[in-house]
Amino acid sequence: MELANSLSQEGGPKGGVLAHLERLESKSRKKFEEPQGAESALGSKIRKLRSLRDKLRAEVQRRQARVEASVEPDQTFEVSEQEVLETKLENVKSILQAYRFTGLSGKLTSRGVCVSIGTAFEGNLLDSYFVDIVIQKPLQIHHHSIPVFIPLEEIAAKYLQTNIQHFLFSLCEYLNAYSGRKYQADQLQKDFAAFLAGPLQRNSLCNLLSFTYKAELSGQSFPFCARLLYKDITRTLPTDVAVTYQGMDALSTSWEEQRASHENLFCTKPLHHVFASFARREEKLDMNLVY
Amino acid sequence: MDAEQAEVRVLEAEVQALKRALEELPAPAAATARVRKSFPEIYQSDSEGWETSKDLRSNLGNLESELLFLNTLTGINIRKYSKKTENLVSAELTERRIKKVLQRHKLSGNCHMITFQVEFQILEVQNKDNLSSVITDLNIIMESTAYSELSEFVSRAEERRDLFMFFRSLHFFVEWCEYRKRTFKHFKEKYPAAVRLPEGASSSCMHIRSTSQPGFELVIVWQMHIDEEGQVLPKLDLLTQVPQRALELDQEGAVAAAPRSFRALLGALGVEAALDSLLRLLCAEEPAARSAAPE
Repeated sequence: MELANSLSQEGGPKGGVLAHLERLESKSRKKFEEPQGAESALGSKIRKLRSLRDKLRAEVQRRQARVEASVEPDQTFEVSEQEVLETKLENVKSILQAYRFTGLSGKLTSRGVCVSIGTAFEGNLLDSYFVDIVIQKPLQIHHHSIPVFIPLEEIAAKYLQTNIQHFLFSLCEYLNAYSGRKYQADQLQKDFAAFLAGPLQRNSLCNLLSFTYKAELSGQSFPFCARLLYKDITRTLPTDVAVTYQGMDALSTSWEEQRASHENLFCTKPLHHVFASFARREEKLDMNLVY
Repeated sequence: MDAEQAEVRVLEAEVQALKRALEELPAPAAATARVRKSFPEIYQSDSEGWETSKDLRSNLGNLESELLFLNTLTGINIRKYSKKTENLVSAELTERRIKKVLQRHKLSGNCHMITFQVEFQILEVQNKDNLSSVITDLNIIMESTAYSELSEFVSRAEERRDLFMFFRSLHFFVEWCEYRKRTFKHFKEKYPAAVRLPEGASSSCMHIRSTSQPGFELVIVWQMHIDEEGQVLPKLDLLTQVPQRALELDQEGAVAAAPRSFRALLGALGVEAALDSLLRLLCAEEPAARSAAPE
């Protein structure tokens, strides 16, 4: 006989018993279709079905009786303390696991706590980082995987001793912003390399990007140089954008319009989204792209 | 043979009917243990080792204190969590050696006075090069309608499927609200006659009236604004309530300039010092303070 899944507390035995019964049924149906000979096989199946039916009947009657009597379940039936504890344990374990979805979770260590910070951008779950904090007076960071260009010491100096929540969430802010910028640059290099006329220049903090790309207008292509500076490193959009071109001649009006609109796009939309819109080859860039 | 086959059919039909009846009747949590015992051929003990109740209790105790610790560390209290996993299978995926798993998560809890219920889906795709996890759907339900500033932010978080930003901004929002409450309470205690909190210390308004010039009232409106990237910024404004007669006398337009002047004061001194200087001005006994407009 196969194992059934353990019962879920809320749905009662619905998942477990019924799923198993379904399996029994399909098994018995299969056996029925290939007569393996002898009434004894069929006979034993009948016996088994009868026993199952009787048990189900008994359970139904029991439940009906309980409903009619409106008796508190805890009074009528004993539950082993063990089972109660086991359920509680599973519950607590799963809630502990769920903390990682807040972006901040941690595990107790012998000396303190190891906090794990998750990062994501537009629903894409990206790298996580950890900070190992020793609980003593004063609190100390023993170990961490925070990149060197994130101002960890600065944030710790401001908040670690007085407001650990603020310290952690502040760190979250910086790390998530960095992760988001990195993701955008990576996506540009990965999916839109055809648009780039030369390598994407970037620093480790990914807050300074420089590249030359092919801009298109009515079938003509023209190289534009873009420089994106993200002065506020807690943000994923640039603060300063400059789109320029090589050469001394002035741009025609339509090209100048393009240049200006591109500058605006880079300021307001994530980098890879801007290139995705270029790829859609619309003559008139839709300024109302939903972010 | 026919008779037996018929009997099998009858039994199967009965079993089906009983199953449907079971579905209709509620199964108390307590009954699960008994049901396990009465269907031994179905249920087998699936614990690898029999942990004694004592071990379980101490284990549970440890985990519960770990949970409490996480709660204190993050300020977020998760009370309920459930998860369903579905393996997405298709001939094409198997051929391309790609594994796709769809997880459905549901969690609820609170961050101080704000309760939330979050449902989201994560799609995990494993191909030969890497494993990617993407939040493909996000649904956030907030009970507190008192914080209207949050509804726009919540829609944005849902649109961007940015679960982490939701919790991060929620934390900072709550932190600012607590700071505002403390500040209002502090000023109410320091200047009991001048300060009124008609909607309580948790609201966004603090009323100030001059003790020497009743009829002049200033209202400080302190709201929290959450921007596009989820950053929480305090937004303070000054509203004036001034008798008509006084407005007529106000030739220099000090009253009209008050909101702007207040913002400048905020920029120069910060929230607490700006409010404090405003209050000191209004509560001063000197005749020079008779002009209620702050300078």
